[in-house]
Amino acid sequence: MNLNPFWSMSTNTGRKRSDSEEQSVQQIAEQQQRASPSRPSFGKKQLPTIPKNTAPITKPASPATTTQSINGTHASYGPFYLEYSLLAEFTLVIKQKLPGIYVQPSYKSALMWFGVIFIRHGLYQDGVFKFTVYIPDNYPDGECPRVVFDIPVFHPLVDPVSGELDVRRAFTKWRRNHNHIWQVLMYARTVFYKINTMEPLNPEAAVLYDKDVQLFKSKVVESVKLCNSHLFDQPKIDDPYAISFSPWNPAVHDEAKERMFTHKRRPEDHHKGLQVSGLSWVKPGSTQPFSKDENSQQS
Amino acid sequence: MMMASMVANGNRDGQALVLTGVDPETCMIVFKNHWAQVVKILEKHDPLRTTNHLVSGLGSIGLSGSHVRFGGPVPGDEASAVQNYVEHMLFLLMEEDAGQAGAMGPILEFVVMENVMERLFLWSLRRQFTDDMKLEQLKMYEMIVGQARQPLLHHKPVLRPLMMLLSSCSGTPTPRVEAELVLLLNQLCCVLAKDPSVLELFFHTSEDQGATNFLIFSLLIPFIHREGQVGQQARDALLLIMSLSAENQRVAQHIAENTYFCPVLATGLSGLYSSLPTKLEVSSEEWHCLHREDWLQMPALVQFLNSLEFCNAVIQVAHPSIRDQLVNYIYNGFLVPVLAPALHKLTLEEVMTTTAYLDLFLRSVSEPALLQTFLTFILLHRHENVHILDTLVSRVNTPFQLGTVSLALFRTLIGLYCEDVMLQLILRYLVPCNHMMLSQRRVVKERDCYSVSAAKILALTPSCCSPEHSPPPLRQLDSILWSKGNESKTEESCLEDGSGHSCIIGSEIYLDVSYLHYLYDARLGISSCIRACRVWSAPYDGEDPPPDEYQASLELEWDDSYDAGPPANAETTAAERPAQPLAPEPPKHIQALRRTATMLVKGSYIEESDFQDDVMVYNLVAKKDVRDTLDGRRSSQETESKGSETESQLNDNGHGFADSSREVQEVPLSNGLSLPLQRATVEVGSDTERSKEVKENIADHNSKVQSPTATDIGDELVAQYEELIRTLGGGEVGAGTEGREPFQNPIVTPTEEDEMDFGSFSVDTPEVDKHAPSLFGTKLRSGSARSQPLPFTGPFVSVLLSRLENMLENSVHVNLLVTGILAQLAAYPQPLLRSFLLNTNMVFQPSVRSLYQVLASLKNQIEQLASTRKDFPELITSAQHCLLARESSLIGHGKTMSSPPQLKTISMARTEVFATVLFTEFLKELAAIAQEHSILSHIPMEE
Repeated sequence: MNLNPFWSMSTNTGRKRSDSEEQSVQQIAEQQQRASPSRPSFGKKQLPTIPKNTAPITKPASPATTTQSINGTHASYGPFYLEYSLLAEFTLVIKQKLPGIYVQPSYKSALMWFGVIFIRHGLYQDGVFKFTVYIPDNYPDGECPRVVFDIPVFHPLVDPVSGELDVRRAFTKWRRNHNHIWQVLMYARTVFYKINTMEPLNPEAAVLYDKDVQLFKSKVVESVKLCNSHLFDQPKIDDPYAISFSPWNPAVHDEAKERMFTHKRRPEDHHKGLQVSGLSWVKPGSTQPFSKDENSQQS
Repeated sequence: MMMASMVANGNRDGQALVLTGVDPETCMIVFKNHWAQVVKILEKHDPLRTTNHLVSGLGSIGLSGSHVRFGGPVPGDEASAVQNYVEHMLFLLMEEDAGQAGAMGPILEFVVMENVMERLFLWSLRRQFTDDMKLEQLKMYEMIVGQARQPLLHHKPVLRPLMMLLSSCSGTPTPRVEAELVLLLNQLCCVLAKDPSVLELFFHTSEDQGATNFLIFSLLIPFIHREGQVGQQARDALLLIMSLSAENQRVAQHIAENTYFCPVLATGLSGLYSSLPTKLEVSSEEWHCLHREDWLQMPALVQFLNSLEFCNAVIQVAHPSIRDQLVNYIYNGFLVPVLAPALHKLTLEEVMTTTAYLDLFLRSVSEPALLQTFLTFILLHRHENVHILDTLVSRVNTPFQLGTVSLALFRTLIGLYCEDVMLQLILRYLVPCNHMMLSQRRVVKERDCYSVSAAKILALTPSCCSPEHSPPPLRQLDSILWSKGNESKTEESCLEDGSGHSCIIGSEIYLDVSYLHYLYDARLGISSCIRACRVWSAPYDGEDPPPDEYQASLELEWDDSYDAGPPANAETTAAERPAQPLAPEPPKHIQALRRTATMLVKGSYIEESDFQDDVMVYNLVAKKDVRDTLDGRRSSQETESKGSETESQLNDNGHGFADSSREVQEVPLSNGLSLPLQRATVEVGSDTERSKEVKENIADHNSKVQSPTATDIGDELVAQYEELIRTLGGGEVGAGTEGREPFQNPIVTPTEEDEMDFGSFSVDTPEVDKHAPSLFGTKLRSGSARSQPLPFTGPFVSVLLSRLENMLENSVHVNLLVTGILAQLAAYPQPLLRSFLLNTNMVFQPSVRSLYQVLASLKNQIEQLASTRKDFPELITSAQHCLLARESSLIGHGKTMSSPPQLKTISMARTEVFATVLFTEFLKELAAIAQEHSILSHIPMEE
């Protein structure tokens, strides 16, 4: 059997625009192992080294009983629910196809996503900003996720020290079913096109924008330059799935690029050759069985 | 003979060696010399002595293969001399390379000019044309056709004698000749497949002989259904021709119009089918479908499957005209006239056997066009005015092995990912969206972002099985260290990147590792289903097909299903009577089954009132079953004599239940009773208040009814029916006295009814209802809105859920099948189906029974059971061990013997214990599917 389907789920969806849904979890799991051979065994199924009973003892507030009594949910499955909620969020992100935004859940935790945002026009044009999304572990019932830029961008809503974007102003209360992480990402993109100076985290930027746009602009250009000059730095957080950039290397990247472009064309031919496993003789628009025209036999 | 034997041994290496390096001219000289010697002998025995006459002489020979002789017998030494020379000559011919630019090599040219092959054929005719002679000739051709280095068949002087030889072998050859003939034909077909230009020549040559047939083909047809190697070679050869036909219109046309190929194939299936055992020797009660190991033991079935596989292959490769013709013959020549009646035979075992065959056939067929034929038969064909599908669905509810086998058949059907099947079985009942509250339509497509449904499903885990409370059984001992940040403190600090953002999910939480496997399986199941359903015509998401449009078409369809239809087929009734001596009234068990289903299924459809209600049906059926079981146990002693009567009767049918006294009682009841009860349901007035009352009444009534004996079930049916009508309807429905009538006077002339009403009734009503027309009058008068939405999720869902509801009484294998099918269904990505089965937040019409409701009621039953039995936890543990042992024995076949002795500690008859374990596992399976849906079903599939 597969080693750890549980973890590979997140890595599977984690692969951006991967169109090979077919790729088996197994494969991905292998990939993942190859990708990080030195990784210790976490994430792997571990046979119980600790006797089962010790867990509740060391943790007096055994989640098992509490959760069950609270919402009738089995505590043993609680982590599954969280993991799948986050995966569902991630698939929503993919579905949105947010322009210029790429995210990837961390290998270590589904609660941490790495991202990068490309600004294509406006004041911050050509900016490439890496960031990390931190999701509270009581998601979706907690606070809104936080977005922290690797390098504090010069922006009224970005904390000049921590690099944290003021997301909360847009999501004062995080409402399950209503708010989704893609909205946060969307918001993170919007702030670079539509500048808001109300209650800034970076008062200097706010003041400049309001009073001296030219100076603001030049500060922004500087900040963008600074960010871009650190593009090839090692990822700030050590994680196999952290986003890292490297200079163009034809030996590595040409082939990948080639594959990306040929991939786009392939699906059509691919589909034809593929033995379709499903069957249908229902004429589109009809709900009668065997209503397709070519089905003239057996009258 | 020598040549023949040498050819047979295929030993030409020595010769080839000799020939290498020998220059072509030398070969030519040798060849000519040999021929000169041969000719001398030939002419010596040729009465006509001239080659000119030879050709005209051919016609008179007549190729009959009889002993044609000229002059006296040929001396042995001369015969063997010819043989020797010919043998050498043929080797020379075979080894010759083609000339430049594809020209004939000199030897071949000589062969053609001198008409060598024809003269040799005549020579063998001239001698006694015995089987030996034919064999010799056949082998000779087989050798040169198979091994020559240049194309030989293009040349008439080679082809013509070959054709003459072949036609001389037609008729009824001996087995030896047959084998050789088929081998040669096979070889010729290989040549044809490689070089289709030869094909035309075959046709022309046939025409020269005044024959319009495609000789090679016609000669192969008799071997189509032959078993063994000969049959296989013939079928392979035919397949080569079939694939030729796909390219060659002329071949296709010839086969379709001038040969009996398709009828022979299709009627052959019928013939082979008739030699299949009509009753299967069933090894165990657990048995429910024909596995490979099973049918390999049955030569007749192997042969049938070979032919079916051949049909499948023909349909795959042949020209569309042949394909269509064959498919038609299979439908009209096998399925309708043979399989349909076989599915309606008299005894349960026969019917069960046919069902098992049908299931096997469906699993053996892979070609869409052939599958379509089978499915059209199942979905659309009506036997005695009942769709095959409805009959099959109705049988799911039989507690006999027929029920199990029928379940297995549906497992196969659902596993086809066929839109048409799913449409007829379930989706068409869901498309109108009547099963849910109007406000819920927008919920259909919603995704369950936070695994709410999975949580709700898992929360149904019985307390005695929850991982926290029970000593973990083998598999659940595994646990997973959840914490992702637990590996080291340094890791943790590295995550604390100064800004206080920590990414550690709580530390060790022990998880049910088996759940990982369920998630994994769910992912595989759903993704393959999603892939398969890409070819479907619509997403079935509550918008497409549009719910409102479909309403009408559904009704229309029901309408024309029942426009014609005598209440019961008189012939069948008569024929079935002796098999069912206990029933003086119509309900024979098969008919009853069918009726039950028809009622269960369509009964609701007659209903106009919003009372129309399948919950009711289940409640009734389920309560009945439970009660019957209890009653059966209670009264088994007092009714022993009658019970054994029933038993013997059933044993006559070959059932031989170990624990029959109980089941015997149960069977006719659960099938029979649901009929009148259902009808009662249908008759009830429309307000919901009354529906409660009705339920109570029925419950009361149920508790009052004493266990019936088998012999008066027929009477009791009626009696109960009457009773129900009385208790339910009061004066209004007021048919207490009429209650019995319908059964006795099934035919009521239309004039007794209001014409209009009757018209609309007869169009809409399943045949069964015609037994009770007097009641319909009432009903029609009270009900008006035929167009009112009918909250009903279809017969299949109904029977499936009612079987699930009986989980605690079901045997392990039945439960495995039922839960397996439900899991199969749950993996379908169509939002309508997904929301119906898995969305626990969805609000359905009060009359619609949801999977979740059934599961919840099962949980309650289990909790109750557990609370009354102190040893329940231990029983659960041993059942878990037992099931694990079963599983590992299934996975590693060899381990069966080493299965632990625990197996013995709990009897499989403790169905409620096993069911509890399976129930818990099923919850995990469903929850896992629900969780995977929340991710998979929403990823755009275009990529």
